[in-house]
Amino acid sequence: MVSKNCVAMILAGGQGSRLGALTKNVAKPAVPFGGKYRIIDFPLSNCVHSGIDTVGVLTQYEPLELNTYIGNGNPWDLDRSHGGAYVLPPYQSGETGEWYKGTANAIYQNLGFLDGFDPKNVLILSGDHIYKMQYNEMLKAHIASEAAVTIAVMPVPWEEAPRFGIMNTNTETGEIIEFEEKPAEPKSNLASMGIYIFRYDILKKYLTDDERDPNSDNDFGKNIIPKLLADGQKLMSYRFEGYWKDVGTIQSLWEANMDLIDDPPKFDLNDRKWVIYSRNYALMPHYIGENAEITRSTITEGCVIDGRVDHSVIFSGVTIGKGAVVKDAVIMPGAVIDEGAVVDKSVIGPNARIGANAKIGVNHESEDNPYKSKYCTHGIVLIEGGAAVPDNGDILKGSMVQVEE
Amino acid sequence: MRNDTMGIILTGDEKIAPLTDIRANSALPIAGRYRIIDFVLSNMANAGIVNVGIATESNYSSLMDHAKSGKPWDLDRKNQGLNILPPNMEKQQYGTIKGNIDLLEGIRDYIFRSHQTYVILSLGNMIYNIDFNDVVDAHIKNQADVTAIYKDLSNRSEDVIKHFTLFDINEEGRITDIEVQPYYPKSSNAGMEIYVLEKALLESIIDECSARGDVDFVKDALVKKMGGMRIYGYEFKGSLYKIDSLKSYYSTNMDFLNAEFRNELFNRERPIYTKTKDQSPTKYGDDAVCKNSFISDGCVIEGTVINSILSRGVKVDKGAVVQNSIIMQDSVIEKDVELNHVVFDKEVCITEGRKLIGQESYPLAISKGTKI
Repeated sequence: MVSKNCVAMILAGGQGSRLGALTKNVAKPAVPFGGKYRIIDFPLSNCVHSGIDTVGVLTQYEPLELNTYIGNGNPWDLDRSHGGAYVLPPYQSGETGEWYKGTANAIYQNLGFLDGFDPKNVLILSGDHIYKMQYNEMLKAHIASEAAVTIAVMPVPWEEAPRFGIMNTNTETGEIIEFEEKPAEPKSNLASMGIYIFRYDILKKYLTDDERDPNSDNDFGKNIIPKLLADGQKLMSYRFEGYWKDVGTIQSLWEANMDLIDDPPKFDLNDRKWVIYSRNYALMPHYIGENAEITRSTITEGCVIDGRVDHSVIFSGVTIGKGAVVKDAVIMPGAVIDEGAVVDKSVIGPNARIGANAKIGVNHESEDNPYKSKYCTHGIVLIEGGAAVPDNGDILKGSMVQVEE
Repeated sequence: MRNDTMGIILTGDEKIAPLTDIRANSALPIAGRYRIIDFVLSNMANAGIVNVGIATESNYSSLMDHAKSGKPWDLDRKNQGLNILPPNMEKQQYGTIKGNIDLLEGIRDYIFRSHQTYVILSLGNMIYNIDFNDVVDAHIKNQADVTAIYKDLSNRSEDVIKHFTLFDINEEGRITDIEVQPYYPKSSNAGMEIYVLEKALLESIIDECSARGDVDFVKDALVKKMGGMRIYGYEFKGSLYKIDSLKSYYSTNMDFLNAEFRNELFNRERPIYTKTKDQSPTKYGDDAVCKNSFISDGCVIEGTVINSILSRGVKVDKGAVVQNSIIMQDSVIEKDVELNHVVFDKEVCITEGRKLIGQESYPLAISKGTKI
């Protein structure tokens, strides 16, 4: 069997609990993003553009939708005879078998999969970031430096540095001297992006050792990286400059969608040199009706729009009725906004229905709002996928409306 | 799955200048993101047919590029699936194809090799959404030799009807007379150029016709043998569009602005599939105005678009006004341009401030890659 130079492993098992009702039934990487994509399309497309043709997707939390979405990997050109996309859930083995305990354990449990490809290097990614990155450049730097591991870092504003895992580096060589998880007083503003390239022999050894340590959390950031540093292994940083966004909260997910419609966009999806691939569902072009008014928005296949849409991201198959007004909103696939409804600064989940003349996110928060949610900061409203707001309903700012059980 | 039936699509030969100068008629873009052939191909796929052959004539590269492995129609199979069959260069020297029998003769080996009992033979370029299962079932039930699908066009003008092959049909549903594009039509049962027959019968028709130098499946095989064969009609009640002129190409596109037709042709039970291009969603700018239009992905609209059909990746700059027009893939309409009743082929660019005005009865068609 031909040995692979680099195999990618995408950690896609996380729940993403801060996304509230959006991840009640789907894993975070399967959350819709940007009009016709899901979050996992970004690392998958980056892999393909970087010439990486073997990708393991490690799933655990609510995997069904994600599994179906990835399928045989064809939408990303990852249906290959030698390599391709593989969904890797936890499995039973011998007398044991257990859930993925942490990021490191998830990879450890799939060493058998990796062995099958005899890779020289393993790229570890998380399935919940929005960015375009040429991993191949990072791989080249990694190989040239002969490092045990290379970690992608990006400069963040100093005041935000305490929220990240910060890498203190030798400013000349880029070698990593120290790693601090969420430091109160950061010495550097280079944040880890959670993107690692390991030499496979090193990865295998450290994961195996880590597994034997009962006190370990089996986590790359907490255990593996500090251990490598303590052992004097060579860790290199790889500096990334460009758009990168963790869409872990309702607010950051909403913001990242809004970034797409800036002029010029902070993050450009209409880039024919770096196409983001996604699974495509035979939908007709969108139809814009006689009464529609559309400004500063993106609209995609299958939509029928007859209302007013301003500064919003409208996903596939959405219907917006006559007289409806949608502003600063993210309307996910298949949602229906009935005639005369007003939707302001909201995230409307897939197939949700907003009744005629309902008001969503229009009126200010109040103390006795039954839908008030800690997930919905900055007044953003979240309507869970499949939920229905009745005609003339009034959902205040900062609410999260869930499907009634 | 419909294991007993195969599909054969012959690409029609109607010329619509300048749009068909560079491509087969079946590969003509329509309704924004589709090609004409997507409709018949999707209908076959939706009926569960897993063996489809497309016999191509000249200019088949855009068709090859479009249909390729058959993936969008789920016809990329280990066994059978989609077969794009280039002309048999030995037997058919370029320019010597006189009729559809020549094309069928060229793919004789493929037909003989296939193991299905029935064939759905599509000879024309029409747009419709039909359940082929019902047609094959009716064919079997009637113990017909040939079943011809038709549409009653009695509510349409004689001018429209005379472009079709017309059938006289008796009370039992049997076809008693066939006339191909007669000058004075005596029937309004317009043939859709789709026939169901047993593969064995098709094989003998091909061999017999080519032995005698006959070239046309309808005129030479069906008409001449009408007495000895049970030819049945199958009435299609849905919408039917025939694309054989620039005018019909234009008006068919425009009909997609009508919700009723749109919902019928793109119904959820039988989706229409096409090659995907992974274009990003279409972007509307701060000054965009868009009304009654059908817009594909990947467009950037900064100007005004009214009563128009835009294919993927079209750019409409600020101040530009596009009305009653069909703009194909990757065309660019620069600042302050005015367009009315035009058809732009792919990659047309019209520079700042220019005007192009056609008429509804005579739309102005601009060929691929033109810079104005």
